[in-house]
Amino acid sequence: MEERKPLLEVKGLKQYFKGSHQFTVKAVDGVDFVIYPGETYGLVGESGSGKSTIGRSVIRLHKPTAGQILFNGMDISGNMTSQQNQQLRTQMQMIFQDPMACLNPRKKVGEIIAQGLDIHHLYKNRAERQQKVAEILRKVGLAPEHADRYPHQFSGGQRQRVGIARALIMDPKLIIADECISALDVSIQAQVVNLMKDLQEETGTAYLFIAHDLSMVKYISDRIGVLHLGHLVETGTTEEIFNNPVHPYTQSLLSAIPQPDPRTERGRVAKTYDYKQAGVDYHLGKRQHLEGTHYVLATDEELARWTAKS
Amino acid sequence: MENTNREHVLSIRDLSITFKTGAGPVNAIRGVNIDLYKGETLAVVGESGSGKSVTFKAAMGILASNSIVNSGSITYTYHHNDGSPATVDLLKMKTKEIRRHINGKRIAMIFQDPMTSLDPTMPIGKQIMEGMIWHYKTPKKEAWKKAVHLLEEVGIDEPEKRMRQYPHQLSGGMRQRVVIAIALACDPDLLICDEPTTALDVTIQAKILELIKRVQAERGISVIYITHDLGVVAKVADFVNVMYAGKIVETGTIDEIFYDPRHPYTWGLLSAMPDLDTDDDRLYTIPGSPPNLLHPVTGDAFAPRNKYALNIDERLEPPMFKVSETHYAATWLLDERAPKVEMPAELRARIQRMTKEAN
Repeated sequence: MEERKPLLEVKGLKQYFKGSHQFTVKAVDGVDFVIYPGETYGLVGESGSGKSTIGRSVIRLHKPTAGQILFNGMDISGNMTSQQNQQLRTQMQMIFQDPMACLNPRKKVGEIIAQGLDIHHLYKNRAERQQKVAEILRKVGLAPEHADRYPHQFSGGQRQRVGIARALIMDPKLIIADECISALDVSIQAQVVNLMKDLQEETGTAYLFIAHDLSMVKYISDRIGVLHLGHLVETGTTEEIFNNPVHPYTQSLLSAIPQPDPRTERGRVAKTYDYKQAGVDYHLGKRQHLEGTHYVLATDEELARWTAKS
Repeated sequence: MENTNREHVLSIRDLSITFKTGAGPVNAIRGVNIDLYKGETLAVVGESGSGKSVTFKAAMGILASNSIVNSGSITYTYHHNDGSPATVDLLKMKTKEIRRHINGKRIAMIFQDPMTSLDPTMPIGKQIMEGMIWHYKTPKKEAWKKAVHLLEEVGIDEPEKRMRQYPHQLSGGMRQRVVIAIALACDPDLLICDEPTTALDVTIQAKILELIKRVQAERGISVIYITHDLGVVAKVADFVNVMYAGKIVETGTIDEIFYDPRHPYTWGLLSAMPDLDTDDDRLYTIPGSPPNLLHPVTGDAFAPRNKYALNIDERLEPPMFKVSETHYAATWLLDERAPKVEMPAELRARIQRMTKEAN
């Protein structure tokens, strides 16, 4: 498994934003992770933990302060030639959180989906373009007739399908899904998650799935990274994280997930984790190996304490 | 049910509301009955567009201007300061009267997004004091003291300093705490929480729910939760109403709804909720999407999405069938002539596992 060549490698990524002369926001402070072709990497954390910032840095919406991002072996964190840029823009796509805000309300859905094709000249004639749009619409569970409608004529779940179709039509290797189900209803969320899983099986696309809802992340991810205050505090396969969470922050996240079971839920009090009170300094910790691909950010002393308890 | 000495707080009967839209009238609420008793917690669950918010907006007198109340009543029972009870029909009151005597003072509401329900140009202390000064003519100094105390109660540290801060200086969870403090400022007997935690993170969500629960226990107030998250419901509610396309399709105590659901829609909702213990590859989904209420509904509104739908579902709307004293469900499957249908096997397995764990 380790033999595989990673699709995306993020090494020591730092993303700072200057607020003023004295004040810099360290949104992402030294994060490393890799994504292999065809797998789903779930990035979880509370708001303000920097998970969206990582997604945006990866797709080059921000210029990283420090660190390296390699996509298919190509460094994409610095300046790039226009040819490299073009190649990257077809191979990496993004799905956004709010499906209404990310679709141009004055364009028909067919136009929105085909925009990428138009820019990169990926069809020979109009018939081929139309056929591609129809095919992708069918793939995401919409009808080809829907291409002639406007975004406001769709429901929330359908709009998110349009967003997915727009990303997929470029046949990307990596899709960054930034909170793409948070704005949807529970039953619609399940539909979209299933659709994304099916599409992955069919096309072999890798996902960087950013969310704060651990229960959904569990369903879709192969591996998970838990992010807190710009540091990746724990990372591992889904089973490793869920069966044996080591970091107290991961434990508090897991304990906060509401369960559809009133009897256990009523008595349960969520674990609290306060960075200041816990006396943990993320800057001192280093990546400690636990088992398999399971790593946790801790000092030697902290690791001994956390593992001793469990 | 009546002999248990439970005191009615809110009772909604046969409520029907239509919205006039450019495309035609939308019958958003189609005959809703809800009962709430003193000190209890009621949850209303449903997808967006099922009309759960509209129902309680009607109770607050804050419906959009294009709405028409076709029929029904919302009776609210409260006690005057001297202890004498009074009962009013909120739908018959003038807006001005509701604002003067009900909103904030008796019934307070917490909305989904704390940023949009706070005034960005006013320090939060002033926003908390506003209601007290307006409703009770509390002197400013006293109001200030009470506001500081309230902020402490909702778990905000350094309340004196926070009183002078503006909403943008607080985090999302803090803002929602402030909204709760504002809601509690005039000692209401009924708190309506419209998706109170949807905009918040899971860790903060748990804390806010625990806070509302604690406040409720301390003050003995009644709380209504409007939500689509069954995890939230499991944590807080005593009674659950499941709403679909402007109707209540199942109502019962929390144990009845979670351990013995009868309506196929409730089955679907429960199955769609991801469960950390199952290792299925696929999440269960309810096929299709909610009906468009622009078109009149004949028969059971859920029938097109229901794989257990019977022939009669397309012609006749099911009445509320009684399962137990507190448990009712509107589905023809409960009719004695209907074929025996069991809930989905996965859901049955999960319920069995949950009951085993609880014992």
